[in-house]
Amino acid sequence: MMFKKILIANRGEIAVRIIRACREMGIQTVAVYSEMDKDALHAQLADEAVCIGPAPSKSSYLNMNNIISATILTHAEAIHPGFGFLSENARFAEMCKECGITFIGPDPEMINLMGNKSVAKQTMNKAGVPTIPGSDGAVETVQEALKLADGMGYPVMIKASAGGGGRGMRLVWNKEELPKLFDSAKSEAKAAFGDDTMYMEKFLENPRHIEFQIIGDEFGNVVHLGERDCSLQRRNQKVLEESPSPIMTEDLRKKMGEAAVKAAKAIKYKSAGTIEFLLDKHNNFFFMEMNTRIQVEHPVTELVTGIDLIAEQIKVAAGQKIEFKQNEIHVSGHAIECRINAEKPSENFRPSPGKITSLHLPGGYGVRLDTAVYQGYTIPPTYDSMIAKLIVHGKTRTEAIARMKRALGEFVIEGIDSNIEFQMELMDDKNFVEGNFDTQYINKLLNIR
Amino acid sequence: MLKGMFKKNSPVVDAGIVQEYDGRKKKPEVPSGLWIKCSECNHSFYKKDIEAAMMVCPSCGNHFRMSSTDRLRLIADEGTFDEWDKKLSSVNPLEYPGYADKIKKLEEETGISEAIITGQAKIGGIDSVLGVMDSRFLMGSMGSVVGEKVTRAFERATEKKLPVILFTASGGARMQEGIFSLMQMAKTSAAIARHNEAGLLYITVLTDPTTGGVTASFAMLGDIIISEPGTLIGFAGPRVIEQTIRQKLPAGFQRAEFLLDHGFVDMIVERKDMKQTLSKLLSVHVSSSWTSQDELSIVERMKNTMTNAIENTINTVNTVMGGGNNG
Repeated sequence: MMFKKILIANRGEIAVRIIRACREMGIQTVAVYSEMDKDALHAQLADEAVCIGPAPSKSSYLNMNNIISATILTHAEAIHPGFGFLSENARFAEMCKECGITFIGPDPEMINLMGNKSVAKQTMNKAGVPTIPGSDGAVETVQEALKLADGMGYPVMIKASAGGGGRGMRLVWNKEELPKLFDSAKSEAKAAFGDDTMYMEKFLENPRHIEFQIIGDEFGNVVHLGERDCSLQRRNQKVLEESPSPIMTEDLRKKMGEAAVKAAKAIKYKSAGTIEFLLDKHNNFFFMEMNTRIQVEHPVTELVTGIDLIAEQIKVAAGQKIEFKQNEIHVSGHAIECRINAEKPSENFRPSPGKITSLHLPGGYGVRLDTAVYQGYTIPPTYDSMIAKLIVHGKTRTEAIARMKRALGEFVIEGIDSNIEFQMELMDDKNFVEGNFDTQYINKLLNIR
Repeated sequence: MLKGMFKKNSPVVDAGIVQEYDGRKKKPEVPSGLWIKCSECNHSFYKKDIEAAMMVCPSCGNHFRMSSTDRLRLIADEGTFDEWDKKLSSVNPLEYPGYADKIKKLEEETGISEAIITGQAKIGGIDSVLGVMDSRFLMGSMGSVVGEKVTRAFERATEKKLPVILFTASGGARMQEGIFSLMQMAKTSAAIARHNEAGLLYITVLTDPTTGGVTASFAMLGDIIISEPGTLIGFAGPRVIEQTIRQKLPAGFQRAEFLLDHGFVDMIVERKDMKQTLSKLLSVHVSSSWTSQDELSIVERMKNTMTNAIENTINTVNTVMGGGNNG
């Protein structure tokens, strides 16, 4: 069976992306929009559109009651939550189930399981997926700390349970300095928080953020679609993503991919999802978390695998089997995505909403642009500042970088500020070109300037 | 500016799509009772969220009415409730038309057999007799069964020397049983008097709504009278009173807060604090009522308190004198 009509409980480029997939599949679409978004592209593009409340997300895109009502009223059978908003809300998934509406995503139990960090870590440990080694709860004495650190290997981080802002925290490189640092962290924690409960975790040096796209169906099949390198982040917000990772080897991909599949199978995961790993400089990888939804950066995977992830996600939700096997998945060429935000990099990336007075979009061979803006559109200050995703594909990484530079150069937005120039500089950055960066790289780069 | 400019899919799919879910063919629909609307602030909430919040509005704090079974779960220590007189059910003494059918239907709908559940339970570890009324059952009205259950609960509590806690919720005497209902006021009050003469504690918790014959009998006879916030408490309703006395009633008339100001209620306790408050009250009053059973434990407790006090004094003296305990 396939759905006849789907409601998209989201806005912006992801809503547009989902509407496009539905249209190609012959599925009717219902958009929902806030009062602020009545002129938004997704509301214009869908077959039907329903206003679900005032501008604040809380009253509209997070208003479960109104979204369910809109679904029932328009006779849609399924809801695609996109990312953000209600996409990882187990309550909402549960509510859909009770109303006989298909939630295009995993079951509420799976969302809950992965939403709780410590439960997720335990689940993965049990399934044999490596997690960042750490103490099980409090570390009481120096002796205990020494023993634990020997087990997980230096460097280790000592942290105060009540900690924050770096206080009561010490990075320890060897066992000689551990006793002294342990005691000083403990007394600092006592003084700062009135609580000197300490715990310990392995410290990863210059880790990279490598995530694996997976998709599972209700028959227990899980396939991974290779990795994405999302190490380039500013304040934990991804700035640029690429697939494959410039440092990936065939052997490592196999190992990490198998771990990702194991992780998904451990919770009988169905739908599209992402397993995030941290990879240290010795190529040891550790499970960080699982995102139980489609992700912003899914297009890079689509370009290198040729698989439409949104379409597959919808098919799996409709109860169909995954049509491909692991050995049929081939990563070909190289894809890079730049997130284009309405923000002003020179003023600490402050958001820059407003009216787009003039717009020229890049195109041509190997260029894909996912956006919801158009000339004359006013970007509201209420929501996320990401306005477009520019994605390019090339035979090699070098070709992809050259294509991205070309496309960024064609991209003209007037009336608001954007980070196009910043992305352009990144394309010329020596370390980026050499693939030599970690999760802290952009922060370091900005501090130098 | 792009209004109506895009070409769309073929004609919009019509209503009445039938899908298979969980093996059954059905249309997506909102099952009744999935959402609860707050009568105070008009916000709607998912039923499970409200249940998780003890049936209190997350937005304005309004206390919704609560079923007796949920209330028991909230108040009695887990697994300690032993229900009494479960099989007692209404007859139709006046052969009131439709009464028997109504009772039968309500039994099926609510899963309870009368407007009150009584029994023995531990509350904060202390044995008590607990009665909880349920407004879903003919608006918690008091007929012969409610009266009899309350009376028996007090008689047994007197026998067992136990405190009684009653959660009231009632529209008053049950009209379908006429004079039989009214007689319950005297009967229950007499049983409470005997419980009182035995020196035992009785706490009433007034919940929305507590009115009519229940207010005029056991609801107002508690040694301590607690109420949930916003509860309607009265004998006759405000409209009847206004028409009788031909005066406009003051704002908040017959609400718990109004009654607290005028001395009819001892305290208002929010639902989330109810169990703790009851436990505290029980522990204070029950341990001070000097029964032979308690005697030993109280002597024991006093001994401990004395020993602790002496030790503390010695420690303090040592610290002050600069000696310290060098053991």
